[in-house]
Formats: sequence, structure tokens, C-alpha cells
Amino acid sequence: MLESIIQNIFNALQWGSYYSLIALGYCLVYGVLLLINFAHGDIFMVGAYIAFFVSTLFLGHYHFFPYALSKPVVLALTIPITMFLTSCVGVFIERVAYRPLRRKGANRLYVVITALMAGLILENGNLALLGASRKKFPELLDKVVYHFGNITLTNIKIIVILSAFLVFWLLHFIVTRTKIGMAMRAISYDRFAVPLMGIPVDTIIVFTFVLGSSMAAIAGILFAMSYPILDPYMGAMVGWKAFIAAVVGGIGDIRGAFVGGFLLGFIEILVVAFFPSTFRDLIAFTILLIILSFKPTGIFGVAKTTKI
Amino acid sequence: MLLEIKNLKVKYGNIEALHGISFTVDQGEIVTLIGANGAGKTTTLNTITRVPPPEGPKVWEGDILYKGQSILSMEPHEVVQKLKIALAPEGRHIFGNLSVEENLKLATYARTDEAKIQEDYKLVYRLFPRLYERRKQRSESLSGGEQQMLAVGRAIMTGANFLLLDEPSMGLAPLLMYEMFKALKELNQKEGMTILLIEQNAKLALEFAHRGYVLDTGEIVLSGSSQELLNSPEVKKAYLGG
Repeated sequence: MLESIIQNIFNALQWGSYYSLIALGYCLVYGVLLLINFAHGDIFMVGAYIAFFVSTLFLGHYHFFPYALSKPVVLALTIPITMFLTSCVGVFIERVAYRPLRRKGANRLYVVITALMAGLILENGNLALLGASRKKFPELLDKVVYHFGNITLTNIKIIVILSAFLVFWLLHFIVTRTKIGMAMRAISYDRFAVPLMGIPVDTIIVFTFVLGSSMAAIAGILFAMSYPILDPYMGAMVGWKAFIAAVVGGIGDIRGAFVGGFLLGFIEILVVAFFPSTFRDLIAFTILLIILSFKPTGIFGVAKTTKI
Repeated sequence: MLLEIKNLKVKYGNIEALHGISFTVDQGEIVTLIGANGAGKTTTLNTITRVPPPEGPKVWEGDILYKGQSILSMEPHEVVQKLKIALAPEGRHIFGNLSVEENLKLATYARTDEAKIQEDYKLVYRLFPRLYERRKQRSESLSGGEQQMLAVGRAIMTGANFLLLDEPSMGLAPLLMYEMFKALKELNQKEGMTILLIEQNAKLALEFAHRGYVLDTGEIVLSGSSQELLNSPEVKKAYLGG
């Protein structure tokens, strides 16, 4: 009994890690632009695909680069290159889709619709370019399984969980301790006054997209390492769930998004432990709905007050 | 001439808010723009700081010159970084989710002159000791007057040598108002800060400033030294209550 509980806790932590890493990206962009960036789940998918192409390139799968590097080297190269390229995609979307609307002072509704469209374009662009067949993500890390009684842990599972916490710790440091992080928090409170401090708002926005997209890239790599089948729609469901996790946690606060992601992970695993797995999403979202109806601003959210 | 506004006409959407105003501010001066609500005072400051539309007005005629150069093509953050002109805006606009200290630190975002930054912290905390007492506090928990001090302190921390102040007396209790203007006077006299002040409280503004302009529905109707304006029958009648 105890062993199965511990096993489930680790499973929940693993899934929570993916949700949290993606939820943090929703949270950052929302904090700075008050925009729910619905393309973000698909950025996660793009991250996984970029990781696929980068790693297969360095493993020597293509004729124009006939050098096969060793797996640890490939992994060490794949992570930063994927983060960089995925950030470029995120920033590109902000430049061509969101910024022009912002310049024209468009209503937020239109920006959200644009975000939804950008996500669909990523999904269908992938489908059109790469076809409907799924991709098999290469094994970049020899899988090691540890047994503790009846508990089994893989090295990948441990890496996923540790990475999520490490990334959150880094992000928390950036947001609370650095000037650029302060500027991000300042924009979420009072957009008008930020340029009056000599701060170029667009630079802060680009930086925010870089942070969010690189975290989605990390989530994409970790996800592909654990579940090595990639398809163009892999980001849709995970993205929606991470978004809901961010809202339940309190979308204006990175702690909220982080905790929300793990909360969703735990609820899902808990449901599956007692019910058939087809009930998972139904019951999980019902529970989240109940939490929201009691605390509409989310667990960490506070209603904003303005002093007159 | 440090700042020269030449025949400035601006619009919000299709509505003209300034109908061709001209005035100047010289190095080291305190100049005030007085006028009733809606006269275009805040619009003037927002135009100088290049706040973009939709919140900011659109210039369609005239020019703003800083040391003889037009600044109309500048971005708002460049006005602060390059021209060292900082605005303490109407309604304060402090970052309530940051502490007092963080608000001040954020204003140094673009600065690299570390030694001068430290001096400026000292200056701000000396001018406004209340901010030092409350430096760890979330700034939305400050009183209105303290928030106003923070807005001015923040403008100083940008490294500005030219302050634009939009109604710094608004909502302040008399004692705080006195402290505020004493600090501003000291900034001007000891630090050589140039100040362009906007006030509804015309008497207060004219007693504080060297020169003034009277703005009425988007036009400058009167100008002169503070003494002249204080003694002018029109000003007395319209703004000083008889």
C-alpha cells in the first residue's frame, strides 16, 4: 500500500513537472501582456520537434552531416540549441502576430483569437510540412531502472522532476532578484509607467517570450525523452491542461502556475488510482472547477486593488 | 534654451486637445503650467515624454525641441535614457506590487553610473525620509502622499536632470505638501534640477516657480514671471479665488 502511494507520488511529480513547466510560460506572458497565449501548448510541441531534428542531426541521421556524436554530447547540444530555436519561434510569433495588434491598440479579445490561430497554424504547418506520420524520438540517455522494493524509478523520471524544480528556482530568482524580472512584474501592475523609467517595453516583452518558450522547449525535450512518440497535436491537450493548471494556481503568480501544474498531476494520478483511466480528465477537471468556484482568483491569486 | 515647445497641436483620435501652444524652459528653471481641469496640462507633459497612442496624444503640427533638436521621433524610454527628462505622472502610477526599494531600483534600469546611483539613493532618502523608513514595504501599502513622494523619488532615480511633475500636490495633506515642495525647492537649488510643474493649485505653484504659463482649453492665454502672474487680475479672478 505504502509502496504504491510512493510510486504514485513520483508519477504525479513527473506529470506535474510537464504541466508546471508549460504553465509557467502561460503565466509569464499573461503577467506581462495580460494575454493568454494559446499558442503556447504548440510551442511545447515545436520544442519537441526541434529537439528531434537537432538530436537526429547530431546522431548522424542525415547525409549532409555524416558524423555521429556520442549520446551524452548530443543531449548536451540538443538542450541549449532547442531552447534557442524554440525561443526564436516564440519571439517570431510575438513579432508578426501580437505586436502589430498591440501597436494598433486592438482589443484583447482579438489578440487571444490571434493566439489561438497562431497555435493552429503551428499544428497544421507541422502536419503539412512533415506529414501525418509520427516521429520516433531517439534515445539520448540510456535508461536506468532503480528498484526499491516494489517501487520502480527510472533515471529519466528523476531528471524530469529535478529539472522542473531547478528551472522554477532559476525563474524565481530572475523574477524576484534581477532588474529585468522587476520590470516584468512592474509591467503586469502598471504598463503605462514602465517606459517612464527608461525601460524599453518591447525588450521586456521579447525577454518574456524567450523565457516562456525556452521552458516549453525544456518540457518538450523531457516529455519526448519519456514518451518518445511525437505528433503534431501532442501540444494541444497538454497545453490546455497546463493553461487550466496555471489558472487554478493563480495565473498572475509564477508560484501559482508551478503549484497548479503539480496539483493537476496529483489529481490525475489519484483519479487513475481509484477509477478507470477513461474517467481521468472528467474527474480531474471537475475537481479543478470546484476549486475555482471557491477561489476564482486561483490558489495564489489575489484580487487587485488600486489606491485612489 | 533647454526645452522649446513650438506651436504644438496634438490630437486624441479626432479631437484636438492643444491648439498650438508655445513655451520654453531654460536650464535650472522652475516653470509652471497652471490651468483648470481639462486645459491640456497633462496632455502637454505626455506629449513631451512621447507616451504613444492610444493613451498618448498624437502630434500633428508643431515641434518639441530639446537643445535645438526635435525629439518627436523618440521612443518614450529614450526620452528618459538620452535626454534625462523624467515624468512623475498624474495619478502617481507607482508599481504597487513592488517594494519601495524595488520601485527606486527599477528606475535605474538603464543606468550604469554605479557611483552616481548610490548618491541618488542617498539624495532621495534624504529628501523623503519616510521612503527610507518604508523601503521594504510593498508600495501599494503607502499612503497617497508617500506614494507621491515615491513617484518623484523614482523620477530622480532615473538619473534625470529635468523633472516633469504632474500635480505632485494632489491628494496630499498640508504637512506632506509642505514637505514635498521643500524637497523640490532643494532639488532645484542644490542639485540644479530643472523643473516643469503642472498644478491646479495655482497659488502654490506660482509661489514655488520662477515663471509660469496659464493654459486655458488648449491655448496659452497668459505668461510671465510668477510675481506678475500672482498680481495679474485675470489670474486672481480665475485661479486664485478673487
